[in-house]
Amino acid sequence: MMPGRGAATSPRADEVFAALADGTRWRLLETLAAQGDGTATTLAAVMPVSRVAVIKHLAVLDRAGLVRGRRRGREVRYVVRPERLEATARWLATVASEWDARLASIKRIAEEGRDEGRGTRD
Amino acid sequence: MVPDRIEREISIDAPIDRVWDVVTKAEHVGRWFGDVTAEIELRPGGRFTCTWAEHGTVHGVVERVEPPRAFAYRWARPVGAELEKGNSTLVEFTLAPEGSGTRLRVVESGFRDLDLTDEERAKYAEGNVQGWKQELDELAGYVVGQAA
Repeated sequence: MMPGRGAATSPRADEVFAALADGTRWRLLETLAAQGDGTATTLAAVMPVSRVAVIKHLAVLDRAGLVRGRRRGREVRYVVRPERLEATARWLATVASEWDARLASIKRIAEEGRDEGRGTRD
Repeated sequence: MVPDRIEREISIDAPIDRVWDVVTKAEHVGRWFGDVTAEIELRPGGRFTCTWAEHGTVHGVVERVEPPRAFAYRWARPVGAELEKGNSTLVEFTLAPEGSGTRLRVVESGFRDLDLTDEERAKYAEGNVQGWKQELDELAGYVVGQAA
Protein backbone atom coordinates (compact mmCIF):
# COMPACT_ATOMS: atom_id res chain seq x y z
CA MET A 1 0.00 0.00 0.00
CA MET A 2 2.75 2.45 0.84
CA PRO A 3 5.97 1.22 -0.71
CA GLY A 4 9.11 3.21 -0.30
CA ARG A 5 8.32 4.72 3.08
CA GLY A 6 11.66 5.29 4.73
CA ALA A 7 13.63 4.85 1.51
CA ALA A 8 15.50 8.12 1.80
CA THR A 9 16.83 7.93 -1.74
CA SER A 10 13.40 8.17 -3.38
CA PRO A 11 10.89 10.32 -1.51
CA ARG A 12 7.42 10.13 -2.92
CA ALA A 13 5.34 12.89 -4.39
CA ASP A 14 2.92 12.89 -1.48
CA GLU A 15 5.81 13.43 0.95
CA VAL A 16 6.90 16.46 -1.01
CA PHE A 17 3.39 17.93 -1.02
CA ALA A 18 2.85 17.10 2.64
CA ALA A 19 6.16 18.75 3.50
CA LEU A 20 5.21 21.84 1.52
CA ALA A 21 1.68 22.01 2.91
CA ASP A 22 2.86 23.43 6.24
CA GLY A 23 3.28 27.20 6.45
CA THR A 24 6.22 27.03 8.86
CA ARG A 25 8.12 24.58 6.66
CA TRP A 26 7.40 26.72 3.63
CA ARG A 27 8.90 29.72 5.44
CA LEU A 28 11.86 27.61 6.53
CA LEU A 29 12.53 26.69 2.91
CA GLU A 30 12.21 30.31 1.81
CA THR A 31 14.56 31.45 4.55
CA LEU A 32 17.10 28.76 3.71
CA ALA A 33 16.91 29.62 0.02
CA ALA A 34 17.39 33.32 0.77
CA GLN A 35 20.28 32.79 3.19
CA GLY A 36 22.00 30.06 1.22
CA ASP A 37 22.24 27.82 4.27
CA GLY A 38 21.34 27.72 7.96
CA THR A 39 21.40 25.72 11.17
CA ALA A 40 18.51 25.06 13.56
CA THR A 41 19.92 27.82 15.77
CA THR A 42 20.24 30.49 13.06
CA LEU A 43 16.84 29.55 11.60
CA ALA A 44 15.08 29.63 14.99
CA ALA A 45 16.48 33.12 15.48
CA VAL A 46 14.47 34.43 12.51
CA MET A 47 11.41 32.18 12.81
CA PRO A 48 8.51 32.48 15.27
CA VAL A 49 9.05 28.90 16.49
CA SER A 50 11.46 27.18 18.87
CA ARG A 51 14.75 25.55 17.87
CA VAL A 52 13.25 22.15 18.73
CA ALA A 53 10.34 22.82 16.37
CA VAL A 54 12.75 23.94 13.64
CA ILE A 55 14.68 20.66 14.03
CA LYS A 56 11.47 18.66 13.62
CA HIS A 57 10.43 20.61 10.53
CA LEU A 58 13.90 20.28 9.01
CA ALA A 59 13.67 16.50 9.51
CA VAL A 60 10.38 16.41 7.55
CA LEU A 61 11.91 18.51 4.76
CA ASP A 62 14.97 16.25 4.76
CA ARG A 63 12.86 13.08 4.43
CA ALA A 64 10.99 14.66 1.51
CA GLY A 65 14.33 15.37 -0.17
CA LEU A 66 13.80 19.13 -0.05
CA VAL A 67 16.84 19.98 2.11
CA ARG A 68 20.18 18.36 2.83
CA GLY A 69 22.02 18.58 6.13
CA ARG A 70 25.80 18.42 6.67
CA ARG A 71 27.27 18.16 10.13
CA ARG A 72 29.67 21.01 10.92
CA GLY A 73 31.13 20.65 14.38
CA ARG A 74 28.28 20.57 16.89
CA GLU A 75 25.57 21.70 14.48
CA VAL A 76 24.02 20.51 11.24
CA ARG A 77 24.09 23.03 8.42
CA TYR A 78 21.18 22.78 5.97
CA VAL A 79 20.88 23.80 2.32
CA VAL A 80 17.90 23.63 -0.05
CA ARG A 81 17.88 20.83 -2.62
CA PRO A 82 16.24 22.63 -5.56
CA GLU A 83 16.03 19.59 -7.86
CA ARG A 84 13.10 18.01 -6.05
CA LEU A 85 11.22 21.30 -5.83
CA GLU A 86 11.83 21.82 -9.54
CA ALA A 87 10.71 18.28 -10.37
CA THR A 88 7.52 18.80 -8.39
CA ALA A 89 6.91 22.17 -10.02
CA ARG A 90 7.48 20.62 -13.45
CA TRP A 91 5.02 17.86 -12.67
CA LEU A 92 2.37 20.36 -11.55
CA ALA A 93 3.04 22.41 -14.70
CA THR A 94 2.44 19.26 -16.75
CA VAL A 95 -0.85 18.62 -14.98
CA ALA A 96 -1.83 22.28 -15.54
CA SER A 97 -0.96 21.99 -19.25
CA GLU A 98 -3.18 18.96 -19.53
CA TRP A 99 -6.06 20.97 -18.11
CA ASP A 100 -5.39 23.83 -20.54
CA ALA A 101 -5.57 21.31 -23.36
CA ARG A 102 -8.75 19.71 -22.01
CA LEU A 103 -10.43 23.10 -21.49
CA ALA A 104 -9.49 24.00 -25.07
CA SER A 105 -11.13 20.76 -26.22
CA ILE A 106 -14.26 21.47 -24.17
CA LYS A 107 -14.40 24.94 -25.71
CA ARG A 108 -13.98 23.54 -29.21
CA ILE A 109 -16.70 20.91 -28.72
CA ALA A 110 -19.13 23.38 -27.08
CA GLU A 111 -18.60 26.00 -29.79
CA GLU A 112 -18.72 23.56 -32.69
CA GLY A 113 -22.23 22.64 -31.54
CA ARG A 114 -23.11 26.29 -32.02
CA ASP A 115 -21.21 26.78 -35.29
CA GLU A 116 -22.62 23.74 -37.01
CA GLY A 117 -26.03 23.96 -35.42
CA ARG A 118 -25.97 20.45 -34.05
CA GLY A 119 -26.31 20.67 -30.32
CA THR A 120 -26.86 17.60 -28.16
CA ARG A 121 -30.35 16.38 -27.58
CA ASP A 122 -30.92 13.78 -24.92
CA MET B 1 1.34 29.30 -1.40
CA VAL B 2 0.80 25.57 -1.03
CA PRO B 3 0.99 23.99 -4.48
CA ASP B 4 -1.60 21.36 -3.80
CA ARG B 5 -4.10 22.55 -6.34
CA ILE B 6 -4.26 23.60 -9.95
CA GLU B 7 -6.78 26.18 -11.15
CA ARG B 8 -7.51 26.90 -14.80
CA GLU B 9 -10.21 28.96 -16.53
CA ILE B 10 -11.46 29.50 -20.02
CA SER B 11 -14.15 31.61 -21.72
CA ILE B 12 -16.42 29.70 -24.04
CA ASP B 13 -18.67 31.24 -26.64
CA ALA B 14 -21.59 28.91 -25.94
CA PRO B 15 -24.51 28.98 -23.47
CA ILE B 16 -24.05 27.47 -20.01
CA ASP B 17 -26.41 24.54 -20.68
CA ARG B 18 -24.39 23.56 -23.74
CA VAL B 19 -21.11 23.74 -21.79
CA TRP B 20 -22.69 21.70 -18.97
CA ASP B 21 -23.54 18.97 -21.49
CA VAL B 22 -20.01 18.92 -22.88
CA VAL B 23 -18.47 18.76 -19.40
CA THR B 24 -20.75 16.06 -17.99
CA LYS B 25 -22.10 13.86 -20.78
CA ALA B 26 -20.16 10.69 -21.50
CA GLU B 27 -20.32 11.14 -25.28
CA HIS B 28 -18.41 14.43 -24.95
CA VAL B 29 -16.15 13.50 -22.04
CA GLY B 30 -14.94 10.59 -24.15
CA ARG B 31 -13.63 13.23 -26.58
CA TRP B 32 -12.07 15.90 -24.38
CA PHE B 33 -10.80 13.69 -21.59
CA GLY B 34 -10.24 10.29 -23.14
CA ASP B 35 -10.00 9.38 -26.78
CA VAL B 36 -12.14 6.24 -26.92
CA THR B 37 -15.10 6.25 -24.54
CA ALA B 38 -16.30 7.48 -21.19
CA GLU B 39 -18.99 6.22 -18.84
CA ILE B 40 -20.55 8.58 -16.33
CA GLU B 41 -23.38 7.93 -13.91
CA LEU B 42 -24.40 11.53 -13.37
CA ARG B 43 -25.20 11.42 -9.64
CA PRO B 44 -23.09 11.71 -6.48
CA GLY B 45 -21.47 8.31 -5.92
CA GLY B 46 -21.94 7.36 -9.58
CA ARG B 47 -19.25 5.60 -11.57
CA PHE B 48 -16.84 7.60 -13.72
CA THR B 49 -14.57 5.86 -16.21
CA CYS B 50 -12.71 7.15 -19.21
CA THR B 51 -10.62 5.23 -21.73
CA TRP B 52 -7.62 6.08 -23.89
CA ALA B 53 -6.61 3.80 -26.75
CA GLU B 54 -2.97 3.84 -25.70
CA HIS B 55 -3.01 4.35 -21.96
CA GLY B 56 -5.98 2.35 -20.69
CA THR B 57 -8.88 3.27 -18.46
CA VAL B 58 -9.12 5.79 -15.65
CA HIS B 59 -11.51 4.94 -12.82
CA GLY B 60 -13.28 7.44 -10.64
CA VAL B 61 -16.43 8.42 -8.83
CA VAL B 62 -18.79 11.37 -9.30
CA GLU B 63 -18.85 13.60 -6.21
CA ARG B 64 -21.09 16.54 -7.04
CA VAL B 65 -23.80 17.22 -9.62
CA GLU B 66 -25.50 20.63 -9.53
CA PRO B 67 -26.61 21.50 -13.07
CA PRO B 68 -25.64 23.71 -14.72
CA ARG B 69 -23.10 25.18 -12.32
CA ALA B 70 -21.08 22.55 -10.46
CA PHE B 71 -19.73 19.12 -11.34
CA ALA B 72 -17.01 17.25 -9.47
CA TYR B 73 -15.41 13.85 -9.64
CA ARG B 74 -12.53 12.05 -8.04
CA TRP B 75 -10.20 10.02 -10.26
CA ALA B 76 -7.56 7.44 -9.49
CA ARG B 77 -3.95 7.81 -10.54
CA PRO B 78 -2.13 6.42 -12.31
CA VAL B 79 -4.22 5.35 -15.30
CA GLY B 80 -5.52 1.81 -14.82
CA ALA B 81 -5.69 1.90 -11.02
CA GLU B 82 -8.96 1.23 -9.22
CA LEU B 83 -10.07 4.00 -6.89
CA GLU B 84 -8.81 3.44 -3.34
CA LYS B 85 -7.60 5.47 -0.42
CA GLY B 86 -4.57 7.58 -1.24
CA ASN B 87 -4.59 7.36 -5.03
CA SER B 88 -7.05 9.97 -6.22
CA THR B 89 -7.35 13.68 -6.87
CA LEU B 90 -10.53 15.78 -6.92
CA VAL B 91 -11.58 17.61 -10.08
CA GLU B 92 -14.17 20.39 -9.66
CA PHE B 93 -15.79 22.24 -12.54
CA THR B 94 -17.60 25.53 -11.96
CA LEU B 95 -19.69 27.13 -14.70
CA ALA B 96 -20.90 30.75 -14.72
CA PRO B 97 -22.75 32.77 -17.37
CA GLU B 98 -20.57 35.43 -18.99
CA GLY B 99 -22.46 37.62 -21.43
CA SER B 100 -23.95 35.22 -23.95
CA GLY B 101 -21.19 32.74 -23.20
CA THR B 102 -19.82 30.79 -20.27
CA ARG B 103 -16.85 31.07 -17.94
CA LEU B 104 -15.58 27.57 -17.13
CA ARG B 105 -13.23 27.00 -14.21
CA VAL B 106 -11.54 23.76 -13.22
CA VAL B 107 -9.72 23.05 -9.96
CA GLU B 108 -7.79 19.84 -9.41
CA SER B 109 -6.63 19.26 -5.83
CA GLY B 110 -5.37 16.60 -3.45
CA PHE B 111 -1.91 15.96 -4.89
CA ARG B 112 -0.39 15.85 -1.44
CA ASP B 113 -2.50 12.78 -0.61
CA LEU B 114 -1.25 10.81 -3.59
CA ASP B 115 0.82 7.75 -2.76
CA LEU B 116 2.71 7.86 -6.06
CA THR B 117 6.34 6.89 -6.34
CA ASP B 118 8.61 9.16 -8.35
CA GLU B 119 8.70 6.51 -11.08
CA GLU B 120 4.92 6.31 -11.26
CA ARG B 121 4.75 10.07 -11.36
CA ALA B 122 7.30 10.30 -14.17
CA LYS B 123 5.52 7.60 -16.15
CA TYR B 124 2.21 9.32 -15.60
CA ALA B 125 3.50 12.71 -16.68
CA GLU B 126 5.16 11.24 -19.77
CA GLY B 127 2.02 9.42 -20.87
CA ASN B 128 -0.08 12.50 -20.50
CA VAL B 129 2.33 14.77 -22.31
CA GLN B 130 1.91 12.46 -25.30
CA GLY B 131 -1.84 12.57 -24.90
CA TRP B 132 -1.71 16.33 -24.72
CA LYS B 133 0.31 16.55 -27.92
CA GLN B 134 -2.34 14.52 -29.73
CA GLU B 135 -5.04 16.85 -28.47
CA LEU B 136 -3.04 19.88 -29.59
CA ASP B 137 -2.52 18.38 -33.03
CA GLU B 138 -6.22 17.70 -33.24
CA LEU B 139 -7.01 21.24 -32.17
CA ALA B 140 -4.55 22.69 -34.69
CA GLY B 141 -6.14 20.60 -37.43
CA TYR B 142 -9.57 21.88 -36.49
CA VAL B 143 -8.49 25.53 -36.41
CA VAL B 144 -6.85 25.24 -39.82
CA GLY B 145 -9.96 23.52 -41.17
CA GLN B 146 -12.13 26.40 -39.93
CA ALA B 147 -9.90 29.03 -41.53
CA ALA B 148 -9.88 27.32 -44.93
